[in-house]
Amino acid sequence: MADERKLILETKDMSIHFGGLIAVNSFSLKVYEHEIVAIIGPNGAGKTTAFNMITGVYTPTEGEIFLDGQKINGIRPDILTSHGMARTFQNIRLFKNLTVLDNVLIGHHVHKEAGFFSTVLQLPKAAKEEEEMRKHSLELLEFVGLLEYKDEIASNLPYGLQRRLEIARALATRPKLLLLDEPAAGMNPTETEALTEFIHEIREKLNMTILLIEHHMQLVMDISDRIYVLEYGKEIAHGVPKEIQSNPKVIKAYLGEEDDE
Amino acid sequence: MKTDLNKKYLPLTILCIIVLFALVILIDPVGPLEGKIDPIFGLYVSRIIKISAVYAICALSMNMVNGFTGLFSLGQPGFMAIGAYTCALLTLTPEAKQAVFYLEPIAPFLANIHAPFIVAMIVGGIFAAIGAFIIGFPVLRLKGDYLAIASLGFSEIIRVICVNAQSITNGANGINKIPTDITALLIFVVLAVVTIFMLVMMKTSYGRALLSIREDEVAAQAMGINLFKHKMIAFVISGFLAGIAGAMLASIVGAIDPKQFMFTLAYTLLLMVVLGGQGSISGSIVGAFIVTIAQEVLRFVDEPINIGPIHYPGISGMRMVVFSILLMCIILFWSRGIFGNKEFSWNRLFGKKAKSKLKKEGGEA
Ligand SMILES: Nc1ncnc2c1ncn2[C@@H]1O[C@H](COP(=O)(O)OP(=O)(O)OP(=O)(O)O)[C@@H](O)[C@H]1O
Ligand SMILES: [Mg+2]
Repeated sequence: MADERKLILETKDMSIHFGGLIAVNSFSLKVYEHEIVAIIGPNGAGKTTAFNMITGVYTPTEGEIFLDGQKINGIRPDILTSHGMARTFQNIRLFKNLTVLDNVLIGHHVHKEAGFFSTVLQLPKAAKEEEEMRKHSLELLEFVGLLEYKDEIASNLPYGLQRRLEIARALATRPKLLLLDEPAAGMNPTETEALTEFIHEIREKLNMTILLIEHHMQLVMDISDRIYVLEYGKEIAHGVPKEIQSNPKVIKAYLGEEDDE
Repeated sequence: MKTDLNKKYLPLTILCIIVLFALVILIDPVGPLEGKIDPIFGLYVSRIIKISAVYAICALSMNMVNGFTGLFSLGQPGFMAIGAYTCALLTLTPEAKQAVFYLEPIAPFLANIHAPFIVAMIVGGIFAAIGAFIIGFPVLRLKGDYLAIASLGFSEIIRVICVNAQSITNGANGINKIPTDITALLIFVVLAVVTIFMLVMMKTSYGRALLSIREDEVAAQAMGINLFKHKMIAFVISGFLAGIAGAMLASIVGAIDPKQFMFTLAYTLLLMVVLGGQGSISGSIVGAFIVTIAQEVLRFVDEPINIGPIHYPGISGMRMVVFSILLMCIILFWSRGIFGNKEFSWNRLFGKKAKSKLKKEGGEA
């Protein structure tokens, strides 16, 4: 690993306790600019909990988290989003009763400059900002291939497209780091293939850095530059896909687990 | 949020607005046509229509917090009381104040202040907004439904203050002799401004931010929405609107007392919002008119009735029972209300449906 690459995200010995349970135990992770890094591990290994600490939902009991070199322990999720971090959820959390376009528009709100009254009174600057927001949203929907559904209610979309919309909504916040929690969960093979391609495209065209959790091994091996493996909250291995595939500890951890949800 | 002011129906919309405002002027005993004609339906009807319009503003104020932002607040009676008392104290002339405060003289700092109604109404709104900020500040940071309890408590505290702060509020006797020169035209103009404000707001980024909080707080925060700030915006504006509505109510009725601002008022407003459809602006307005008029029509259940041999003694407060049952039934069986979370639209009225791009296929969902 050439270390002159820019470090986007780093966790140092990050741990969290829930009562007696140590959900994540001294987890250290590095994500460099433009990388796709995967976290894998059996159910309940602490992957989502690690995401929740990184995104500010939980404050780690011990350890430190750095985004772009700045310590971010205990900073609220919305503030982290305004500093360039965006995520999706394991169980899709769209704004269900709103349209596809509105979902993406809401992603833009974090960068809104005009205040409440100048926006509602539609003062020239604020009105222009609203218009640009709409334009960007439509462009983004076009990029992710959802433009034709822009006026549909989000919950009416088929499952695969809902996942895609959730990613689009996260992209609308203009992140430098995108966190995807099991983006392929519940997808059929065709949808998974399309998703793999989509994630690649996001990285290349938007110059994105991506950290993802995934159970779908094919996708993980195809797409990741590096992989971290968690078991019972502890890292048991990390490395490039080839190393992980042949690592005996990883094979043991996954024995008896289906590699696909 | 579509308000189809689309070209096709624009003339119809304009016509309806003109007819509405003509009616508003024609029903009104005071206003531009004062003394020139008799109000077409008499004083009683004009008063009910004015009160309905004021309640429509209250319902909109409640809808902003409960319908759009997905919080649960019952603070409206408190905010209305603040607006009503502020308005009363500012519009009463110094001589009238002396006459009204006969048990205990009015506090000296209030004795000589006097302002026209518009000023009094806005000051009332601002005081109510400050009240909203004060309860919102600790409570809106918390997760969960603490707001319902805190806001209801706030309303009761305000009412108790009104009963006991004799030299400011004249206690349980309330304040009468409030100038009742408010015109229906003014009330409907304010209602129109509030409605347009809400319609425009809900189409902007801030309106969508409020909706996102209602839809999913966790996701909203992950998308960068500052939950506290946006809840506070909704709550303070809601307080302001309830405050100006309270001021208008004082000026229509001419007399206020603490009993008018009991917590039961919050349930009546809730009924209007839920009946119209939570999250629908047109719904709140329609709901307010239906409930206010129904309350008048249902007055007979409070009074004794004799139908042949059957004698119903008349139980005062029976109306409230009927309304509570109605509210429960609507919440249980018809929680969408009249408009759901949609707005009035000619297209819908005339039964035209928007086409969906999604093919109806039996894929997994
Ligand atoms: N808020 C919480 N309070 C208590 N325990 C929690 C909490 N959040 C997570 N846990 C526990 O932490 C452990 C790790 O959970 P986590 O959701 O991170 O697993 P995961 O690796 O994402 O699993 P999956 O693959 O099933 O999504 C589990 O045992 C879970 O019950
Ligand atoms: Mg998980």
